[in-house]
Formats: sequence, structure tokens, C-alpha cells
Amino acid sequence: MTTDRGAVYDLGYEPYHGERRGRKGARLTIWADGNRRVLGLRRKARRKVMPWLLIAIALLPAIVSVGIAFIVPAGVSNEFNLADANASFFQLGGTIVMLFTALAAPELLIPDRRYGVLSMLSSRPLTSSDYLAARFASNITVVGGFLLIPQILLFIGQAGTDPDGLVQGIINSAPTIPRILAVTAIYITAFVPLGFMISSLVQRKSIAASVFLAVIIGLTAFAEAIVRNSVLPGGRWMALLAPINTADAANNWVFGSINNDSLLAAADIHPALGIAALVVIGSAAVMVSVWQYRRLM
Amino acid sequence: MPDTAFTTSQIGYAYGSVVALHSLDLSVPRGRTGLVGANGAGKSTLIKLLLGILTPTTGTATVLGMDTRTESIDIRSVVGYMPEGPCLPLDQTAADFLIYAAGTAGLPKQAARQRASDVLTLVGLNEERFRYLGDFSTGMKQRAKLAQAIVQDPKLVFLDEPTSGLDPSGREEMLDLINRLGSFGIDVIVSSHVLRDIERTCDYVVMLDEGTLLNSGPLHPEGDTDAVRIELIDGADRISQELRNAGAEVEGDGPRLTVRYGEGDVFDLVRDAAARSGASLLSLSASGSSLEERFLEREVRR
Repeated sequence: MTTDRGAVYDLGYEPYHGERRGRKGARLTIWADGNRRVLGLRRKARRKVMPWLLIAIALLPAIVSVGIAFIVPAGVSNEFNLADANASFFQLGGTIVMLFTALAAPELLIPDRRYGVLSMLSSRPLTSSDYLAARFASNITVVGGFLLIPQILLFIGQAGTDPDGLVQGIINSAPTIPRILAVTAIYITAFVPLGFMISSLVQRKSIAASVFLAVIIGLTAFAEAIVRNSVLPGGRWMALLAPINTADAANNWVFGSINNDSLLAAADIHPALGIAALVVIGSAAVMVSVWQYRRLM
Repeated sequence: MPDTAFTTSQIGYAYGSVVALHSLDLSVPRGRTGLVGANGAGKSTLIKLLLGILTPTTGTATVLGMDTRTESIDIRSVVGYMPEGPCLPLDQTAADFLIYAAGTAGLPKQAARQRASDVLTLVGLNEERFRYLGDFSTGMKQRAKLAQAIVQDPKLVFLDEPTSGLDPSGREEMLDLINRLGSFGIDVIVSSHVLRDIERTCDYVVMLDEGTLLNSGPLHPEGDTDAVRIELIDGADRISQELRNAGAEVEGDGPRLTVRYGEGDVFDLVRDAAARSGASLLSLSASGSSLEERFLEREVRR
């Protein structure tokens, strides 16, 4: 028999005396939360379906092409030649990334407003610009990752199937890296700011996604109609309002494969001017989001 | 650390043409303070001004010695805020949300995890930490809101209508939690239109009405501890006589009397006098007038 008796200790309240990282820490937390939110991580299973389905769709062609390129000997078929596939993969990814942005941007901004989380965040050591910058960085991270992962697979395929061996293959394929980064930035500029602006103004995720897709597709159809039919004097400049076409044309230009059928070519506008237009439109969209959040936070 | 939780000097705020606060001058000591007033009195506006969420139309304010106009980020590093409205992401678990809330206050990841766990235990949600906030009851949501306000270990916490929407037992639990915050070294500013909640939790009060200051001061003024207020069903004359014979001062007539007695426990004296005289007591309370009475009295004077 023991004389020891159990005891319950109330540990009470433990004050925190550790590091406080202020605005920098707050921004980093909001950025990381944004990435998780878009990908549905640490959320219910049904929230993971759409983002991962789109990621799978974007990855599948790259996986199949690279897999076949490894199996089929070089020179047997040009169909599986990966050397010039970057532009076409971006073009395919660009369309899917439009859908991904329609999903991501509303997810990043709307729940915080709908659930009232902004009222909590407005008492934290950060400004509305800090919050928006962190969320914008999340949007760029997930969309950029979405565009880059197939290209990374492609790069591995290009290097791995190089007749001179893997190491020499990496060296031979290295010049594509800055081009890949540049085209990723172009597609991000084409879609992310616009999705962000619409999500900062609309109260429901599904409506924001629909409006985003309607604006992109509507602008493209409008520009196509005006430019191809030459219905307005100076109407060719409307080609700059079509973000998909502009990004695709810029993609081809960066990878050195000019497409004479593109809308910009039909309007006789150089792709570099198209990129400048994307930057101007994107900047304006970001400014609208900043203005809106200065009112809200 | 300054002696005051916050000060205001001629602070005012207007939503467009609607003036929410009229030139308030306040100096509120550290401890537990209640902001009292009816809906629309300006309590929430005052809190938002103190947090630097709103910029005052006129005047200035300091919180823990820091200027709300120029040092709002520094203020928000050391204060917590429980808003009156919803602030919980319903698609997150309580644990994930608390980690996020701690991170947005600048705590590193590991510390945020530890604090989230500790605070969820403190507010009684430890067992529910992996449940989604959307599945929480109103009482649990209010506790989660309180948890996010203190997860970063603030020096001062603003609680805007913390008992709003709670049933009586939930209200009691929330008031107990608020009372405990003081013992953790956290100063508390509680806004409420329920005067009994303020009486239960605070030792200083600021009364607002339609954006103006009615009164501010200690909730239980010193000097009234040897006086009681009694209300009788019958036997007022007999008990008055008994009390005077025992050396007490008796004021008032009819069924409501105020009794002062400086030579012993006034409550015991009233009890004994009631027993001897056969008078029937309806109520017996400390004579420091209740907050409700003080509030109504001030309103009438205006």
C-alpha cells in the first residue's frame, strides 16, 4: 500500500515572453494561410476536389509527354519531341490557369469578408496593404506554381532525353529557364490582378468566379469581333483588352515562335506592347483592390 | 508601463453627417473597465478609435501611453480585440484558427501552436479543438472569439459585447472567464449594454449615451461599505426604531430605507433588527447605488 496520493495541479495562465515578429510575421502567416486555403489544405475533403482536379489536368499532359519521350527513342517520332514544347504547354496551362485563378482569387479574399475575419485582422499589427500584399503573394505563389510545375517536368524530360546525357542536357536546356519564368510572369499578370480586383468587389465566391470568367471571355470575344471585322476606326487597339490572346502571343514571342494568326498579329501590334498593356491593366486592377480594402479595414 | 489603460482628449467621430462621439475627455485606469450604454451610445466606435481602426474626426487618444494616430501598429501588437460581430472562419478548426490568430499577431509558428493549445484549454474548448468552427454553438463561438483576443498574450484586451447572444449559463461562464483575465495580468475593457455584466466584471465604469459621456469613475466608490439599502414588505416603522436604538442612522421613509452604521457589520445589524422587530425584508443590498440606478440618475439629470 502506498501513501502517495495523486494531486491535480492547475498550471494557470502562462504569459508569453517570447519573440514577436510584428508586421513581417503577420504578413507571412496570412501568405501561408492563403496558400493552404486555395489548395484546400486543412479544410474539409470537398474543398480539396476542385484545386487538385485542375492541378491534375494541368500536370497530366506533361507527365504523359515526358513519360513517352523517355520510352520512345529520339528520332522515331516528332510528336514526342520535347525540345520545343514549352510554348505549347504554356498555352494549354494558360487556359487551365484561367480556371484556377477563377477558383483561387475568390477563395483568398471573400471568406475573410463574409465570415467577418477582417474585423479580427484589423486589430492585428498590420495594415490593409499588408493584408492585400500577403494575399496577392499567395495568389501569385499558387498560380505561379500551377504554371511552373508542368514546365519543371518538361525541363526534366528535356534534360533526361538529351542525347548528350543528363548533365549536358541540363546545360543545353538552361537557356529556357529565364523564358519559362518570363512567360509565367506574363500569364500571372494577365489573370491574377483581374481576379483579385473582382474578388475584392463581389460578395460571393461563385459569383466572383463567374464574373471573372465572363469578363475574360467577354473581353476576348469583344476584341476578336472588333479587330477581325475592322468595325471601328482604331479598333485594332482593342486587341490589347484580350488577356488570353495577349498572353498567348507574348508566350509565342518569348519562345521565338511567332503566330501570324494571333489577334495581336491581326491588329499589327507587337507582343511587347501587349505585355505593357497587361502590366497597365493589372496595375489598375491592383489599385482598385487597394482602394476597396482601405475602406474595409 | 503607464498607469492608464487609455486616455482621450476631445475625441470625436462622425459617420458622415451622423456624429457618433462628441468630444470625449477620459482617463481610464488599468484594471477592468466597463463601457456602458445603450445600443448606439458610441461604445464600439470608441473601441475602434482606440485600436486605430477608425481615425478620429477631432481630438486625440492614447492606449497604454501610445498615440492611436501615429502608433496604431505598436498598440495592436500589445492589445487584443473581441469584436461584437462574427469573426470566425467557419471552415476552419478551432485549433487551426487559433494558430492563425496567434500568427497574425506576430508569434512564431511553434509559439503560436503552444499558445493556441493553452488558450483553448483556458476557455474550455480543448476537447473541441479539432472541430470546425461552423459546427460550434453560439456559446462556443463566443469563447473562441475570446480565445483569439488573448491568444497572443495581450497587455490589454477590448471585449465588445462579449455576452451577446448567450443563454444564462453561457453568460455566467463568459463573465467568469472575463473575471479571470484580470488575475492573468491582462487589463480588460468590456463594452456592454447589460449593466449587470459590467457590475459583475469591472471595477471602473465609463457611461456613454448618444455619443456623450454621462459619467466615469470607480464602480464601487469607497465610503459606502458601512451602509445598506433595504426594502421592506411591512414593519418599516418598527425596524427603523430598532435600528436607531442600536445607534444606526436611518434615512428614507416608506418601505425603502438606507441604513448607516459605523461601529460594526451593518448587515448583521439589519438582520438582528428585522428579527427583533418582526419586520419582513424584501431586499437587502449594499447602498452604493446600483449601476442601473446611477445610469438612470445621470440620464435624468441630462
